[in-house]
Amino acid sequence: MINLEERISEKKSFFNRLIIVYIFFAGLFLYFLYKTFLLQISSYTDYEIASLENKTREVLLQPRRGVIYDRNGNILVNNVPSFNLIINPSSIENIDDHLNEINQIINLTEDEENYAKENFSRLAKLNRELVLKKNLSTEERSRFKVRKYKFPNTFIDQRYSRENLYPFLFSHSLGYTGSPEESDIEEIFLNQNLKPKEMIFSYSNGYLIGKTGLEYTYDDFIRGRFGKKIFEVDASGKFLNELRVVDAINGKDLFTSLDLESQKVAYEQLNRRRGAVVAVDINTGAIVTYLSSPSFSVNKIANGMTQKEFKLLINDDDKPFFDRAAQGRYSPASTIKPAIALFGIENNIIDWDFTLDDPGYFILPEDGRIYRGWKKGGHGNINLNDAIIESSNTFFFSLAYKSEIEDLTKHLSNFGFGEIVCLDCFLPDSGLLPNPSWKMNNLNFGWFKGDTVNLGVGQGYMSATPIQLAYYASFLANKGELNKFSFVQDNDNKEVKKNIFLSNNIDENDWLKLHESMIGVIENSKGTAGRLRALKDYTIAAKSGTVELVSTETKEDYKIIREIEGQRDHAIIIAFGPMPNPKYAVSVVIENGESGGSVAGPVAIEVLNALLKK
Amino acid sequence: MKNLLNLRNKTIYFDKYLFISISLLSIMGLVFLYSASQANTVVVFKQSIFVLFGLLLMFFLSQPDPNFYKSNSLMFFGISIVLIVLTLLIGKEANGAKRWLDFGFFTLQSSEIIKITLPVFLAGYLYDKKLPISLLNTFITLIVILIIVNLVRIQPDLGTSLVILMSGIYILFLAGLSWKFIGFSSIAFILSLPFFWNNFLEPFQQQRILTLLDPSADPYGTGWNITQSKIAIGSGGLQGKGYQMGSQAHLDFLPETETDFIFSVIAEEFGFIGVCLLLTVFIFILLRCLYLALNARDRFCRLTIGGLSLIFLSTVLINLSMVVGIIPVVGMPLPFISKGGSSLLSFYIAFGIIISMASHKKLMQK
Repeated sequence: MINLEERISEKKSFFNRLIIVYIFFAGLFLYFLYKTFLLQISSYTDYEIASLENKTREVLLQPRRGVIYDRNGNILVNNVPSFNLIINPSSIENIDDHLNEINQIINLTEDEENYAKENFSRLAKLNRELVLKKNLSTEERSRFKVRKYKFPNTFIDQRYSRENLYPFLFSHSLGYTGSPEESDIEEIFLNQNLKPKEMIFSYSNGYLIGKTGLEYTYDDFIRGRFGKKIFEVDASGKFLNELRVVDAINGKDLFTSLDLESQKVAYEQLNRRRGAVVAVDINTGAIVTYLSSPSFSVNKIANGMTQKEFKLLINDDDKPFFDRAAQGRYSPASTIKPAIALFGIENNIIDWDFTLDDPGYFILPEDGRIYRGWKKGGHGNINLNDAIIESSNTFFFSLAYKSEIEDLTKHLSNFGFGEIVCLDCFLPDSGLLPNPSWKMNNLNFGWFKGDTVNLGVGQGYMSATPIQLAYYASFLANKGELNKFSFVQDNDNKEVKKNIFLSNNIDENDWLKLHESMIGVIENSKGTAGRLRALKDYTIAAKSGTVELVSTETKEDYKIIREIEGQRDHAIIIAFGPMPNPKYAVSVVIENGESGGSVAGPVAIEVLNALLKK
Repeated sequence: MKNLLNLRNKTIYFDKYLFISISLLSIMGLVFLYSASQANTVVVFKQSIFVLFGLLLMFFLSQPDPNFYKSNSLMFFGISIVLIVLTLLIGKEANGAKRWLDFGFFTLQSSEIIKITLPVFLAGYLYDKKLPISLLNTFITLIVILIIVNLVRIQPDLGTSLVILMSGIYILFLAGLSWKFIGFSSIAFILSLPFFWNNFLEPFQQQRILTLLDPSADPYGTGWNITQSKIAIGSGGLQGKGYQMGSQAHLDFLPETETDFIFSVIAEEFGFIGVCLLLTVFIFILLRCLYLALNARDRFCRLTIGGLSLIFLSTVLINLSMVVGIIPVVGMPLPFISKGGSSLLSFYIAFGIIISMASHKKLMQK
């Protein structure tokens, strides 16, 4: 036992120690309270959001892509619903076995099987669906339905596929759609204020974006906005009930300026020959016909194509994917002559009364080099009008010889050469308008006078795309006043280029005379495109050209080189009509077609006929 | 009050403050449990039985004189050890741990009983020892504590074994453990921490501690519980989402809503205001215990009240610190609120003993 004194000190010690422990725990209690305060009051908003995100899932609702129309309201591209057989590659182990099992119920073609095998592992990695077969019949659907339990990772669902009603007609102008890349989706989502988190959880399959052509350039416009369904979910991710729906906003329909009828005519006329046709409404700059040939089926590209088919297209010597209309570079050849003529008049080098003796060649005074015309013996004593009608090279060699190259290129750039002339074309090329500094930088050679002389007949380094040639033709037709080109007539964003041309030295009279001589190209008995006269019953102005790929001295030499098709001259023509008040301008290039007047010419006339309903 | 209860010439021993506050807490617990168990009436009914039985048990345990506990403490302690050993031998295994003795109608978690009998036994052993406690007695006490702690730890039940360790050390400390010993052993303890880390903690326990340091590094793994608990508490805000409106609890984001994380449910549904009200009741009980300990009739009673109330306090704080992420998740119920038989009853027993110690005055003082 302990005595009283000790008892008192013991009580005191106990007292102190218990208080110490309580104070220690009181401190912990306060710290806990502080932590709770931080959670519930200071960071309340963060945690409220976290709890909200925890319990909701947003499933995206896809907008319907806008329909694309031609200028008369004909549907060109539409969305077609179809019932598709779809698998989830990421949860299927062996695609071969799976296909075999499916094949016992729904017959897959060899192409469909190949497509599935080729894309299986890629889509599995991306966690995207794989469409095995499209457009299932009612019978196929019901056959699958009763055996569905055997295939937990396979289902039938409705998907919209993008269908171009004229898949070969508008391959390059409208382009095609395809599955978006991860980065595309990210950008679109960012644009539409959707969070990447939603992307991971509920990226809806089957979404398409434009890859080329107008589908690409107007993707923003025809894409629409995603809607969403917001579900309450539990911790296991099970959907409990629908909280809210934000409807998707369908894409706007695109009314293009394209004209289905003339496009059909252009396609038939080119008949898979290599070349391009571009026609425009000169008053608005609206492109009405746009064909690059040969073409390919955009539907096949957009909706699944086996590698074999794709390789065939890629390796085709005619290069069907290449958009010749916007990217093909061709020498303008003799079609450049009206522009050179205007340069001569503008700079007082010549006038309409000026004459020149054409012996069939031009000798460059500096080095005595001979530049030949196309006609042996020449065109005799000719003025500017004759020179255009008969396409005298000598006349324009001589005129170019008298020109300053810097002035000449500046002049030509007004016609759209070396420039981007189209507002909404897909990856247009600007061609090449050469000048001395370009030559020095790229070829490491100084500019020769002979280069300027060659430019006078559109040969040499200069090149232009068919769309630039069409722009040039419209420019001539409209007497130097023109909008930039566009596929959409009432495009609000159109950069209007009222280019009142050149200088006071060119007046209305000059324009009329120029038009007159270009009419003569067809109507005059000496015209280079006289054969076109019979194809129409109204007046058309034109200028043909023949692009020399291999330089030859004589017709006999040419006969030798033309044995190889790829060495034959390109046929080229620009035309506009009906005169005297032209509405449409057209350019046609046919690769290795040899004669601008008689090969490219008929195509141009038929397209104009279709446009003018004659 | 005392007069009213003085029936048939028999004094009824009673502390109205503790009785009312513990009853209040128990009823609040039932209300919270209804929501936390997704309105599971079976769970709430079972819990009500425990609460009712517990309150009665508490009442009856407060009747005997403290001397009854003092003289029988060795026997109670011995029975508890037998139960612990039986658990290790024939206990029911669940989730890789052998913690329960199956009595058919009731499974007893024996470690919850020894959590109470150990401090009473130690108080009985130390109440007449000179100050400061001699080194010999200190070692004897420590060896007893460590044996019991280890018996529980190998079940394994880290949380309860820590509480038992604490309960022993509280008594030793309150009884007058020498400050010199405290100083030396603290240094030794800190130096041996790495050894404990490597030899006494299971890998999953180590992981829990690591997770605590950075729960966001692994939100869907071991840190999931803490993260979801924080979201539940934080999203409760000032006023809470409303009774049974907690999405974290009701959509299964929160784990163990009926036991370890019931506080998160309360915080989510009743907000900071609700949390403060609940804490007020706990603090009231603790302050009352402090008052009773300081005014106890003798050293045995002081030590027992002090030790048992500190176990209660520790359990509450461990649970609260756990759910807000101050300490790792160790599996500790919130007394009188969480669902559970043994742990719930152990606190009714503890408070029964506390009330007995506090309400029996010495005859000579009368």
